[in-house]
Amino acid sequence: MKKLYVNVRYLIVPVMTVTTIIGLFIGGIYAWIGVFLFGINTILDTLTKDIHLKADFDEDGNSYGIKIFQYSVMYLMLPIFIILQLALANNLYKFIYLEVLEISELVGSILSCGLWAGLGIIYGHELSHNKREGFNVSRAIMALSGASHFTYAHVYNHHLDLGHEDDPATAPRGRNVYAHAWLSHAGQSKFSYDLENAKLKKLNKSFFSLQNKWLLGYLYSLPSIILFVWSGGLVGVIALFIVWVISNFLLEALNFMGHYGLIRETGKPVEHRHSWDNDNLFTSWFFIEIGRQCDHHVRGETYFWELDDVKGPNYGIGYFSLFVLALIPSLFRKFTQKHLDNWDQNYATGAEKEIVNKYYVNELLQKASK
Amino acid sequence: MFKNFFNKKKSFAVNIFPGDQEISISRGETLLAGALRSGLAWPHKCQVGSCGRCRCKILEGKIRPEIDFNYVLDPVDVASGFVLACQSTAKTDIKVSVDLTHKRK
Repeated sequence: MKKLYVNVRYLIVPVMTVTTIIGLFIGGIYAWIGVFLFGINTILDTLTKDIHLKADFDEDGNSYGIKIFQYSVMYLMLPIFIILQLALANNLYKFIYLEVLEISELVGSILSCGLWAGLGIIYGHELSHNKREGFNVSRAIMALSGASHFTYAHVYNHHLDLGHEDDPATAPRGRNVYAHAWLSHAGQSKFSYDLENAKLKKLNKSFFSLQNKWLLGYLYSLPSIILFVWSGGLVGVIALFIVWVISNFLLEALNFMGHYGLIRETGKPVEHRHSWDNDNLFTSWFFIEIGRQCDHHVRGETYFWELDDVKGPNYGIGYFSLFVLALIPSLFRKFTQKHLDNWDQNYATGAEKEIVNKYYVNELLQKASK
Repeated sequence: MFKNFFNKKKSFAVNIFPGDQEISISRGETLLAGALRSGLAWPHKCQVGSCGRCRCKILEGKIRPEIDFNYVLDPVDVASGFVLACQSTAKTDIKVSVDLTHKRK
């Protein structure tokens, strides 16, 4: 029974994504179901903010997670996310060529698709750490959002340079989520481009080689572009652009919330204190434990169902609730300030405190004296 | 015909040089994970194949690379047998060379 509970609880996103797809096919008010579910999830996340669970292991220390089941679900999410795009393309076709769809239905379809396509990140992320087939599925899922570069940048850049200015996915203090989304996306793509360039030069291969994973990654997004051009022409291109903007914004918002303002000294190992945990009940189950960032960044290849609370820095609320705060930068800064102060006092090393003083405290004092 | 398929070895012997220590790693377990489980101070940092700290040289036997080592290691080194222990699983018993007396930077 425990085994069933541990494994089934991670099916919220698959079930809700399928529900969103059905809503898109039915049309009418149901085209908005993805947006509605997002709202419901924010309420559920806020209601469960004080419930924090530990990972589940039996008496012998073995996890209840069933690897073949969890992997089957993650792999199955690739065709599900493809069907989600097909459902939107179908509605575009009905709107443009058949003229049987209202504009409100189309808007609902685009927003619903964007929000749930953005959740592909949680599977793209998990599979990026599980090599070979899983890595390729990760690339394919991310390509549906035009972000195939993420898989390489996440492993070779973010995990190595976390908490440091060399990591575009770590947001420095004071930056807002809107600026971070663009800077992090472009920075990770640039990293992936440089990584491939360096590799190809070492191998004496041309930039236009089939071994150029940066280039190939963007080519993987071509089927989506062709589908939307075919189904909606210019409107289709605009719809796909909106879907990509929303889904990449969600992806980068997770990076933003996971490491905002945290600092690591050059060359020092990544420790639990270099990430924020968001591990209340709903966030843990919905985001397949991606919120257990502290443990994940120290044990990067550990399956998500085995990640645990390691008593690292913790915002105390879930991703949905924090995301709402992040959308209002002044509120987000106010909320995070007390957590950052606590981090500076109780988690930072002497050298990390010096960096805080050099880059943030002195700057604030200078601003105040002007 | 299916003899090899059904009689797959479940673990492999890893001889580590210098020092000639022997450990056993399970099928599918990475060299680094097996070494750390056996209590060896194998140099490592990121454990996801990006830092190169766990590099070692395969002297004998075959491994299965989980990622393309050319991102982190020099292709000349890869050609001469260097691998990343955190991204290598064994296909046969192996002999490997690694400096276990390193000091963490």
